[in-house]
Amino acid sequence: MGCASSLPGRSSGRLTGLNNAENSGVPDAKNLRVKLVLLGDSGVGKSCIVLRFVRGQFDPTSKVTVGASFLSQTIALQDSTTVKFEIWDTAGQERYAALAPLYYRGAGVAVIVYDITSPESFTKAQYWVKELQKHGSPDIVMALVGNKADLHENREVPVQDGIDYAEKNGMFFIETSAKTADNINQLFEEIAKRLPRPSSS
Amino acid sequence: MSLDSSSSSSSGDEYIEENPNSNPKMVDERFEVLTLTEPVELESNHMGDGSDIVNGSLNRERNGGDEDDDRLQVENQEIFGEEGPSSPSSSGYAGERGSSSATSASRVDEASEIDDNEIREVRNDGSLEGISDSQASSWVPGKRHVDEDDASISWRKRKKHFFILSNSGKPIYSRYGDEHKLAGFSATLQAIISFVENGGDRVKLVKAGKHQVVFLVKGPIYLVCISCTEEPFESLKGQLELIYGQMILILTKSINRCFEKNPKFDMTPLLGGTDVVFSSLIHSFSWNPATFLHAYTCLPLAYATRQAAGAILQDVADSGVLFAILMCKHKVISLVGAQKASLHPDDMLLLSNFVMSSESFRTSESFSPICLPRYNPMAFLYAYVHFLDVDTYLMLLTTSSDAFYHLKDCRIRIEMVLLKSNVLSEVQRSMIDGGMRVEDLPIDPLPRFGSSPHLGHQRPPTDSPERPREPFIGIGGPAGLWHFIYRSIYLDQYVSSEFSPPLNSPRQQKRLYRAYQRLFASMHDKGIGPHKTQFRRDENYVLLCWVTQDFELYAAFDPLADKALAIKTCNRVCQWVKDVENEIFLQGASPFSW
Repeated sequence: MGCASSLPGRSSGRLTGLNNAENSGVPDAKNLRVKLVLLGDSGVGKSCIVLRFVRGQFDPTSKVTVGASFLSQTIALQDSTTVKFEIWDTAGQERYAALAPLYYRGAGVAVIVYDITSPESFTKAQYWVKELQKHGSPDIVMALVGNKADLHENREVPVQDGIDYAEKNGMFFIETSAKTADNINQLFEEIAKRLPRPSSS
Repeated sequence: MSLDSSSSSSSGDEYIEENPNSNPKMVDERFEVLTLTEPVELESNHMGDGSDIVNGSLNRERNGGDEDDDRLQVENQEIFGEEGPSSPSSSGYAGERGSSSATSASRVDEASEIDDNEIREVRNDGSLEGISDSQASSWVPGKRHVDEDDASISWRKRKKHFFILSNSGKPIYSRYGDEHKLAGFSATLQAIISFVENGGDRVKLVKAGKHQVVFLVKGPIYLVCISCTEEPFESLKGQLELIYGQMILILTKSINRCFEKNPKFDMTPLLGGTDVVFSSLIHSFSWNPATFLHAYTCLPLAYATRQAAGAILQDVADSGVLFAILMCKHKVISLVGAQKASLHPDDMLLLSNFVMSSESFRTSESFSPICLPRYNPMAFLYAYVHFLDVDTYLMLLTTSSDAFYHLKDCRIRIEMVLLKSNVLSEVQRSMIDGGMRVEDLPIDPLPRFGSSPHLGHQRPPTDSPERPREPFIGIGGPAGLWHFIYRSIYLDQYVSSEFSPPLNSPRQQKRLYRAYQRLFASMHDKGIGPHKTQFRRDENYVLLCWVTQDFELYAAFDPLADKALAIKTCNRVCQWVKDVENEIFLQGASPFSW
């Protein structure tokens, strides 16, 4: 697997979030640390994606996230770099929308999730992309994720729509299923590979 | 002390049992037993309450008088309404029997739809009763019966409805049924409220048969409760206040501005996913005394253990945390407020309800905006929430939106100290050991010093004659104390004894809860109260209430309990509480009285 940074143009990866002074140990090229925020409509499966990734669990009973949950997970890439994800799993409820900047401020990665069975959630995802383009870090890595891929019989958002939109906006696109664990690790590995590497000094 | 006072409430004429003690003079003497130990508190203030209640009972058959009569009637019904174990459920329908006269004169057409006929149907409907029973024993979180609306018979039969709506009549929340389908019903409620408001008045309560419709107006937000549970008006109003507070906790009062901008503003999306929070709060109206006592309760812990927890919380509070609260379920382990910051018991109730009912807090550490309505209803605070184990959770509140990493560090420090000083294992042990049990009420005052066992539990080698062990007799035979609640006014805290036999079933416990609720309301009734003591007897219990400047004691006894012995027992309970106060209350660092 190629490990070269796919974003060579970006010079300084701002890896630590704001207000994160005590966590901002000097990142070296081998041990990255990045703040990742998940955004998307309520009920699209953001928490399920995170819990599948961090704990390998899937709980079909829906638990509405309040505010935002914080979890972290470290993965090792084949080139022996490790990436520690500090994940902000935000609530999709409308009342928290105004507070989203609190969580995406300083984020190096934004994962925007929609539900492939819900066109409304795809529209909401586009709203978040625009919001981040306006107010997010300029060098933020963005991923567009169509979740609930196991429910392909009820699909209402064609794969191609996701691909097209992601391409137009310079995003990485993948369809996942937190239920079957399909593409979950791939999502985070791909993100890790796309992270800007700090220039070695 | 006047004679009236002591008969205050014995009002024996309503009761089957003719207790020789209801002889006023004797009763008076009995009370002096109590008076001897606490002379100050028991003086005076009994004027006329007894006669008021008698008036109330005379008014009993009268329905639809003016507002004041209603209030008295509520009082009266609450006091005499519950008709014993034969009633199918603890709440509600007991008083329906033979009350067809009450169908008269419902003042509002809408309300008359739900009249006695329907209630009788319910009484004959075993399945519905089944529902209420199962709710009592194994409560399932979340909203039920979403498929219902006001056209559903099952919806109309629900004993207690709660609604939140906007002043333009838009539904915001309904306990049962889908809010959107209830738009018409909501508009009707709004019409009633605004009709009265247009007349320069305000509707508080409408009585229709056995149903009470209670209204609460909070700016652009209207809250309505429709209930046939026979709870006092003041209790239902208090519950509406708490529901409003829960909404403010989630959204802040600045929500009012949305209605200023757009009167037709639809608030339901803003409350998305909070059904569990409201249904859990409403459920607590039938088991958690904090909802009417306006006090909180602590997990019993050795003084040193609680001190250790308080010390580390104080440590982080000094580093810019507004409130640090460590709780186990709905009980406080310790809490600390930054200087000058005070936390209202109602805010604690709403906050812990919010945290415990939202499953996502258990999954991982969280950082969420919340508002404490009694602290500042206009502003969000930020709450760092982390469950240390399945029941124990830490809440760190701050005004700073970017303090997460600092609070996370605080939590790590706190958790380490709590583990090292065994606080968490002590908490687990206390959960298993439980709280005060009436069986353990000491016969003699405990020694003040020396190693005291958990809550002064005395385990005599042989059963003393005063404490027969038969399952249906509590302590002291005829004086049989079954249960008590002690509320310390100064500390804003209460302690409630564990449920002991014969209060085994959830139904019995809920009935006692409602009885306490009525007792509390009647003691604090501004019209005929406040009272200092009250002694009442019905088929279910003898209830004794004693209010002083320092505390309120609510005690339930065997219905055959002797009054003099009951009073004596209450004195012993108070002494017992004083003996173990360092274990059952959070002492000293009360954030409520800086």
